[in-house]
Amino acid sequence: MTTERVTAPQTKPPLWRNETFLKWSAQIGVFVGIVALFWVLGTQAATNLDAQGREFSFRFLSDPAPQISEGIFTLPENGLESFATGIVNMLRVTFSGIIAASFLGVIVGVSRLSSNWLLSKSATVFVEIIRNIPLLVLIIFFALLCSLFFPELSNEASGPVWLIFTRNGVSLPWLFPTDTFWQWGAFLALGVVAAVLMFRRRDRLREQTGQNTHAPRYAMGAFLVVAAVGWFAHPIAGALGWIWQLLESIVSTVPVLAWQLLFAAVAVFLAVRWIRGFLDSLRSPAGLAKLTDDDYFRIGLAGVIGVGAALVFLFIPAITETIADVTAFVFGFFDQKFEFLRTGSPMRFARPEIIKPANFASIGPQGMTMTPAFFGLWVGVTLFTAANIGEIVRGGVLAVPKGQTEAGLAMGLRRSQLLRLIVLPQALRIILPPIGNQYLNLAKNTSLGIAVAFPEVVATMTTLANQSGQYLPVLLMWMGFYLTVSLLLSSLVNYYNRKLKLVER
Amino acid sequence: MVETRVSQHLVPPEPPPEASQPGALVWLRKNLFYSRGSTILTVLVGAVILLFLRGAVGFLLDQGRQWEVIPRNSANYSIGSYPRENIARTWVSLGVVAFIAGLATAAWRPIGRVSPGQISAAVRSAGIAALVLAVLAPSTFGGRTEFLIAGAVLFVIGQAALMALGDRAIDAFLPTLVVLGAGLVAFLVVLWILPISSSTQIPWTIVIAAAVVAFGVGRALIQPLGAPTVKRSVVALALFALPVLYLHVQRAPEIPWDRVVDWSAWIIPIVVIGYAAVIFVSGAEREAAAIVNGLLVVASIVVWFVSAPMAARFLLLMLTAVSLATPTFGSGEKGRRTVIAVWTGVVLVLMYLFAIGVGTPTLETNNNYFAGINLTFMLAIVPMLLAFPLGILMALGRTSTMPLFRLMSTGYIEVIRGVPLITVLFFFRFGVLNFLPPGLQPDAILLAIIGITLFAAAYLAENIRGGLQSIPKGQYEAAKAMGMTTAQMTMLITLPQALRAVIPAIVGQIITLFKDTSLVSIIGLAEFLRVANNIVPGQPDSLGTKLENLVFAAVVYWVFTFTFSRASLRLERRLGVGVR
Amino acid sequence: MTSNGKKEPIIVCDGVKKWFGDFQALRGVSTEVGEGEVVVIIGPSGSGKSTWIRCINRLEVHQEGRIIVDGIELSSDVRNIEKIRSEVGMVFQQFNLFPHLTVLQNVTLAQTWVRKRTKAEAEKKALDLLERVGIREQAAKFPGQLSGGQQQRVALARSLAMDPRIMLFDEPTSALDPEMIKEVLDSMKELARSGMTMMVVTHEMGFAREVADRVVFFDQGQIIEEGTPEHFFTDPQHDRTKLFLSQIL
Ligand SMILES: Nc1ncnc2c1ncn2[C@@H]1O[C@H](COP(=O)(O)OP(=O)(O)O)[C@@H](O)[C@H]1O
Ligand SMILES: [Mg+2]
Repeated sequence: MTTERVTAPQTKPPLWRNETFLKWSAQIGVFVGIVALFWVLGTQAATNLDAQGREFSFRFLSDPAPQISEGIFTLPENGLESFATGIVNMLRVTFSGIIAASFLGVIVGVSRLSSNWLLSKSATVFVEIIRNIPLLVLIIFFALLCSLFFPELSNEASGPVWLIFTRNGVSLPWLFPTDTFWQWGAFLALGVVAAVLMFRRRDRLREQTGQNTHAPRYAMGAFLVVAAVGWFAHPIAGALGWIWQLLESIVSTVPVLAWQLLFAAVAVFLAVRWIRGFLDSLRSPAGLAKLTDDDYFRIGLAGVIGVGAALVFLFIPAITETIADVTAFVFGFFDQKFEFLRTGSPMRFARPEIIKPANFASIGPQGMTMTPAFFGLWVGVTLFTAANIGEIVRGGVLAVPKGQTEAGLAMGLRRSQLLRLIVLPQALRIILPPIGNQYLNLAKNTSLGIAVAFPEVVATMTTLANQSGQYLPVLLMWMGFYLTVSLLLSSLVNYYNRKLKLVER
Repeated sequence: MVETRVSQHLVPPEPPPEASQPGALVWLRKNLFYSRGSTILTVLVGAVILLFLRGAVGFLLDQGRQWEVIPRNSANYSIGSYPRENIARTWVSLGVVAFIAGLATAAWRPIGRVSPGQISAAVRSAGIAALVLAVLAPSTFGGRTEFLIAGAVLFVIGQAALMALGDRAIDAFLPTLVVLGAGLVAFLVVLWILPISSSTQIPWTIVIAAAVVAFGVGRALIQPLGAPTVKRSVVALALFALPVLYLHVQRAPEIPWDRVVDWSAWIIPIVVIGYAAVIFVSGAEREAAAIVNGLLVVASIVVWFVSAPMAARFLLLMLTAVSLATPTFGSGEKGRRTVIAVWTGVVLVLMYLFAIGVGTPTLETNNNYFAGINLTFMLAIVPMLLAFPLGILMALGRTSTMPLFRLMSTGYIEVIRGVPLITVLFFFRFGVLNFLPPGLQPDAILLAIIGITLFAAAYLAENIRGGLQSIPKGQYEAAKAMGMTTAQMTMLITLPQALRAVIPAIVGQIITLFKDTSLVSIIGLAEFLRVANNIVPGQPDSLGTKLENLVFAAVVYWVFTFTFSRASLRLERRLGVGVR
Repeated sequence: MTSNGKKEPIIVCDGVKKWFGDFQALRGVSTEVGEGEVVVIIGPSGSGKSTWIRCINRLEVHQEGRIIVDGIELSSDVRNIEKIRSEVGMVFQQFNLFPHLTVLQNVTLAQTWVRKRTKAEAEKKALDLLERVGIREQAAKFPGQLSGGQQQRVALARSLAMDPRIMLFDEPTSALDPEMIKEVLDSMKELARSGMTMMVVTHEMGFAREVADRVVFFDQGQIIEEGTPEHFFTDPQHDRTKLFLSQIL
């Protein structure tokens, strides 16, 4: 008996006991089930729409769209312009909110760590109040505060003033870009490069001589010099316009088929490169490691995506056409912004003004104006995010072990040096990922603007969805938009994370 | 050479040098004026705070404010526009919840302790706040004397208690249960003495009495039944009571008996087949059971696509699930009895839910059969309960070694976490109706619950994944070495540890969810914020009081959220998560 | 060597007292340490050994008594504190290397920022010292990639790079695995033989016997007994000392 069992060839287990088979059939079963569920829902939707005499479409993007209270297109010609208005409004709140919340948040976090009792207590109270009230309540409250309880816009005065702080909105003096701003922008970019180079040089000098070479100051100086020169010399940068023009004509003259082939080739090439890199990473001096199911799956997926993308490019020329059109449009846009020897100062200073078109005064188009809705949303998300950032900063600094400070002190470092060389670099690693998350949340929270009728993406698109009944396309557009924003922000954060990651044993 | 020194006697400890100086001055010197910079800072911050407080108090107590709208609308805040002649239904619901809460308190025995010193200090702080308010109030404010008196009384009580406690203020502790009971009694006393709301005096008393009675019943049951049984029964009761209260008591639906009878041609055979199948499977060989299960899977897919009634489709689906899960109910005669009981329960619950859910409410409430703070709480609690299983599944999927599961879970989690909650709510409020068969048109509250559940599940899954990944590899290896299957390892070893590790994160998520319920006001459900922001200011006698109502709403949200977060901090400390 | 206290002492403590809240951690510590002397401090846990030597480079602030290091009195004068800290090196139980910097950067950081050396000088010095403690080849790694013993030797090199006149050690081997203790102790012995003034809190009695000029027994925030190692290990006087030694030997 025993010898027989030992010498008998290994039998394959029957299918229903084969682990690999079971695992894959379970996965495929669930996958098919989910696809089937979506299919059922989809056909049901088609039937329902049919019964109402409608169909699934994105046509609302080209149909006329209703008026919008503020933004780049207040009278949009079609849904697409309405969408664009929403996006720009959303980005305005997001970026100004991120900047303000970062400043305020760092101040709050540092205040909470302060040894001054009054300061740290007031920061704590601020954080506890803001974090425990729903953001939506804050937004509605501040918008209401602005629109009902700020002073009334004086009906007598008119003309330019320095600050408008009324229930019609808040308006500040501001520097607005003019049509030569882009030319100056080229110099600003150059200035950044110069600053980086200068910083590196001075820092190397410090390392070589041991003297403090004031690298940050020199870098700042380099930037300012280039910027100042550019302020007057920017007409020269207008020459870039020719380059943009050339690029535009290249993009628009090369036939679409060539681009299709190129894109398809690039897709396949990228997939192949990824697979090769992946296999290389598995290869050790002892040879290629045995591939697991998972590895096969990844390779297969990469291949399918690569080939699929190539096929999509080849068989749906509309995509390539759109890409080419957009690229040409972007180059054309730049071309307009740059013109050799176009003169004029790149920025224009403007003060807010009160105008009186009819019986009642209103805020003129000069100045940087926040409507009550913008004000409420902006103040709400800023305070909310600042409270969270404050907690993160505080936690990050506290998380640097005490021994680190002591070791630095024992070596004779000054408090300021200690903070800059030891505590902050370590705290930053802890702080950055959650702060990136906060920025993402802020971007998503701007969607609450709809509650105060601020026309951002959700508000403008909801109007279109209600008008056309096309809820699914609108949801898809929301998803596409927010996922793009999330992806961009989180890849930025990941990049920094990777750069800052500690090497562990 | 080094000389040898020996000190013959030990020096006794001395008191620290500053102890002789007066306390308050030392405190000020050390915390506010310890250097020139800190003095300037203190003065500056103090001035800003004073100005801000003055402005805020002046604004809130301005002559124009009509704070009396808040008590006048207390019914709106609690139940929205729920028909007043049916208000007894809400009290019944509340009573049932209180009863279950009382049982739960008895079963779980809150073991934490509360420091009387903290309570006294809080009372004193409240007194100081009232005094500051009275001092800073604008000259037109009428209630200044009342505030002064109340503030002084609170301050004196707090201070006296602190002084009486003396050194014991920090060390002494009261059991949480005593504090809880005292709080309830205080609430009742205030309710009966102060003329706030005379119509609710009796119902509240009954509700609280129900909680107290339930607590007694629970304590009495623990002895004969044992605490685990009581706990399990309380959970079962809660899970059963929630849908009954939600679908039956609050909505008072008209049950469409003709429809239910119509289903019978489908339902009765499925129920019978179900009994046969589970009895067979619970005793069968592995291969035979697999064949039956396979048949059931095929049948449920087929039935799903033919035009069977929704109830039949779901019932067959549930049968397949129960049959697949049969081995987990144990083996032998006991296992068979359990599985029969489970199948019976599933049939009853499902049929009940379908009959009730399809029936239209008889109350003319415009879909507001839950509203006000009631709806807010329900939207926080129910989705969280429902999201739990889904979140666990997603977390397991995302950490699984099976690539397709991982892909699907990751895709779901990342997509949901990438979009704002409001877009999900919009879609479920308006868009999702397009995808359902004309017969199945759930009401707005149910759709909001589903939307929030799907949203919360993604975040929950990420939390649980964090817990799963924090479990040392050795745990998996030890479980495998004992011969456990993957399912056993997950259910018995890794998942319990993971859930325990992420309790604080989950509590944090519940708090976030509680705040996020305010978003459903945007899609038109009459939860607390909508009552404050739209419904009350829209009443003819309360026009132009948006600000007062918003401030009130903010305070209410703040009180609940702050209490939760403090409680969760205590919990965190007690669990010692992160300290271990 | 400390020839009967004739040579000017480099550390003087006179009646040093220190409280944490109401708890008195140091109850009047008075002693002198001569240039080049190696003092080993032993005593039960919680007796205030760490508190004392941390007062000497003012990581803790004493409230009464005087501490004079290298002729400078420790007071709230910031300039004096910085001066003393750059003259006094310290090695901690938990190494406290900076995890975001490489080994080489750990050793050069304070040289360039405090001693204002050029990068080339600092790196040369750092590599020499790493050589001396036997881990030159690890210079480009991050602390997280090293073993405990290696990390502690980096910490030693980091302190020595400042050319301190005095070195303080607070249980430098307590967090190490047994086989790593020796490599750290060897480096410390070598340092002691080169004439460095050292104050060492440790439980390594072999080290005390071999290199200490003086052993100090510390308990309840005060010095109970001090003397040569021979005296100490053969003929302790105080009951507490005897009890303590009987427990650890
Ligand atoms: N930062 C501190 N706050 C309060 N008490 C402390 C602090 N540091 C040390 N102590 C107390 O002072 C006493 C001496 O501590 P320490 O000097 O670390 O002892 P040793 O190093 O001899 O073990 C201990 O009782 C300890 O609890
Ligand atoms: Mg110690």
